[in-house]
Amino acid sequence: MTVTRRELLKGAALAGAAAALPAGLPGPATAQTTQKRELVVAQGGDIAHLDPHMSTSSNDIRISYNIFDNLTSRRPDGKLAPGLASEWKLQGQQAWAFKLRSGVKWHNGDPFTAADAKFSLERTYDPAAKTRVNTVFTTIERIEAPDPTTLIVHTKKPDPLLPARLGFYGGQIVPKKYLEAVGQEKFNQAPVGTGPVRFVSWTKDDKVVLDANADYWGGKPDFDRLIVRALPEMAPRVAALLKGEVDIATQLPPDQGERVKANASTTVAGALYGGLYVLAVNSKVKPLDNPLVKQALSLAIDRDVIIKELWRGRGVAPSGPIARGDNHFDPSLPPLAYNPKEARELLKKAGYKNEEIVIETTAGYMAGDKPMAEAVQAMWKDAGINGKVEIVEYSVRAQKNRDKSFKGLWWSDPTSTLRDPDGMMWRLLGPGGPQDYWRHAEWDELGNAARFSVDEKFRGEAYKKMTKIFLEHFPWIPVIQPYEDYGLQKYVEWNPDPLQQLEIRRFNFKFRRA
Amino acid sequence: MRTFLVFLASRAGRAVVALWLVSTVVFVVMRLSGDPTPLLLPPDAPRSEIFRLRTELGLDRPLPVQYAVFMGNLLRGDFGQSIRFKGPAIGVVVERLPATLELGLTSFGLAVLIAVPIGLLSAVYRNSPLDHAAMGVALIGQSAPTFFIGILFILVVSVKLGLLPTSGRGDWRNLLLPAVTLGLFGMASVARLTRSAVLEVLRADYIRTARAKGLAETLVIAKHTFKNAAIPIVTITGLQFGSLLAGAVVTETVFAWPGIGRLAIQAIYNRDYPVVQCVVLLSAALFVVVNLAIDAIYGLLDPRIRVR
Repeated sequence: MTVTRRELLKGAALAGAAAALPAGLPGPATAQTTQKRELVVAQGGDIAHLDPHMSTSSNDIRISYNIFDNLTSRRPDGKLAPGLASEWKLQGQQAWAFKLRSGVKWHNGDPFTAADAKFSLERTYDPAAKTRVNTVFTTIERIEAPDPTTLIVHTKKPDPLLPARLGFYGGQIVPKKYLEAVGQEKFNQAPVGTGPVRFVSWTKDDKVVLDANADYWGGKPDFDRLIVRALPEMAPRVAALLKGEVDIATQLPPDQGERVKANASTTVAGALYGGLYVLAVNSKVKPLDNPLVKQALSLAIDRDVIIKELWRGRGVAPSGPIARGDNHFDPSLPPLAYNPKEARELLKKAGYKNEEIVIETTAGYMAGDKPMAEAVQAMWKDAGINGKVEIVEYSVRAQKNRDKSFKGLWWSDPTSTLRDPDGMMWRLLGPGGPQDYWRHAEWDELGNAARFSVDEKFRGEAYKKMTKIFLEHFPWIPVIQPYEDYGLQKYVEWNPDPLQQLEIRRFNFKFRRA
Repeated sequence: MRTFLVFLASRAGRAVVALWLVSTVVFVVMRLSGDPTPLLLPPDAPRSEIFRLRTELGLDRPLPVQYAVFMGNLLRGDFGQSIRFKGPAIGVVVERLPATLELGLTSFGLAVLIAVPIGLLSAVYRNSPLDHAAMGVALIGQSAPTFFIGILFILVVSVKLGLLPTSGRGDWRNLLLPAVTLGLFGMASVARLTRSAVLEVLRADYIRTARAKGLAETLVIAKHTFKNAAIPIVTITGLQFGSLLAGAVVTETVFAWPGIGRLAIQAIYNRDYPVVQCVVLLSAALFVVVNLAIDAIYGLLDPRIRVR
């Protein structure tokens, strides 16, 4: 870094002024603005892949969403906005037509065309490419690219959510010509996209360096360089923020919020998670096969206490299986009730004989998992439920998830990938889904009909009925919809994203300048 | 000289056996700990996907076959492909090695340069305030956990006083805190051991003789005491190198230092067998080589060891 004499003098003057200020008074006003041209972000882990089709991990996606563009773009406000496609519409029941932007260039100067989009989507499910997102676009039958700015996607059945699917992982558009020329391995090391930042370097376990794309179709971002650092431990990550070494720090736990806010130059921004934290239930084992028992388990949980004490107020109590902010969320539904007396009565009616009910929890994989499990256990005890908490390691949980071998309940943080119930409860709880432990003929029929209907009114009615059935049977016991907090320097103007993306495009990121 | 070479050859033979045992143990333990495929695919991936990946990674074969393949590849210097990074495991590890060596050698150097003189002075000025202070600090250094010391340093030195960067790898300023944190435990043991070794020698008859013949005290310490006390000091220093590698796992995580310690942790979480095997074997090999070197130094320091 070179420092001019003028800057040095200015710095010295400021230091003098700061020293003259008595402690406790706010620091110099310059802390709220900056002349920085470099944005430094700290996240909890390093990336593993730059090739966007090789990973679904949030650490990777924060970067790949910015090197690459999708055809559609899910904005931090939850709305679906144009991406590389400027508009789209249904053609009949089973085809979506996309109008693509013209004049967009890849970072290596090649022009972007519909052939790239067709290639990218087909690549996700091409067995030879061995991608890790090959289940995202299973509804697609075939894709046509009749001219450079038109893409027509034919689906096997009507797919109302195709534009939403295109906005999430798997939907990043990659360059056909470049990828075919250099091969998968080289592409992963030196990716070329159309996004607001271009790849410069990656020092593994340390940082990824990206430069602003001055020719970006959405406008050059408000920085020259983006550095994403991997700071795995929470305390050093917060320390780096407090000291001003990083501008945005991800995964800020609720108990650190006060500290970050108390610091003169930093603040906290949160987004209500686009999903829920639930206790998923193995409804195949006794006594959890009895809906009355599950209703009692839900009634015995005091969600307000969990939110207030464990989350410092950073969350809301869910009202059902649909996350606040999703399509078809019903704001008229009350939050899930707490009533230990009614819980006792239900247990009596169900003939509950003090059988042990196990919660298998990880310690620290999901925010607050272990303390929440212990709190729930204590609340259950007060309602006469014999709960037991067992701690399992993260990989053991993954294995149990795979084998569907959970003993009773376990924590799950279903993400609403499409901001629609289809992408959350139906994807996970539906027949053959990863959390298929409970079946209900009417519920299944409604879920299936809603998936393949392009009539939003019909879908809304179906999800209303499904919610009602859900609240009798509780295949999940929703506990909280938390805020996901980030620590920021006060000179950063940026809105966090409910789906853990790092949106730094011009419309969402600005350095506050003097 | 011939006996010395025989001595070294037998030590080298033992080292090879040790490495074989280490590689086998790592192989078995990693397989016992579970399957990496659930961690690699999204939770809604279908069963056919899991089988495809298991076949691709060779995990569907019987364990003895996997072991034979693993050993065969190892002998050819092939550690396999990293499951997470989809590249040769050895490349992934070697890439991180300079960072760990930079950190490890600096802490090692700090430990020796600071601890040996402190231990020596503590012994010579036994029961003085200097002795008490030094041994008090050593006690803290030996008993406080590395992650606690590390975070304390970050909060006080970096955030509160603003003197050094909080984390990451860069110039010497980034190196200082992690190196001191990592070196502290070693420093403490080396200082304590130096002190007791020197005290031991100071009681020997030949020291009394040296003093009786009127040799200056500095010469007594430098020439007669220190050289004779060196054997246990060299031993503990060699062993410290091993604990430095172990400590690097925690220190590198706290200070976001991109070395093999952090890599090992992540590889274990991700069940990235080839990388874990590679890190462990490489660390074991380093440790074995250092101990071999120490054995050789013994021979140089004390001719009596050579003939045994």
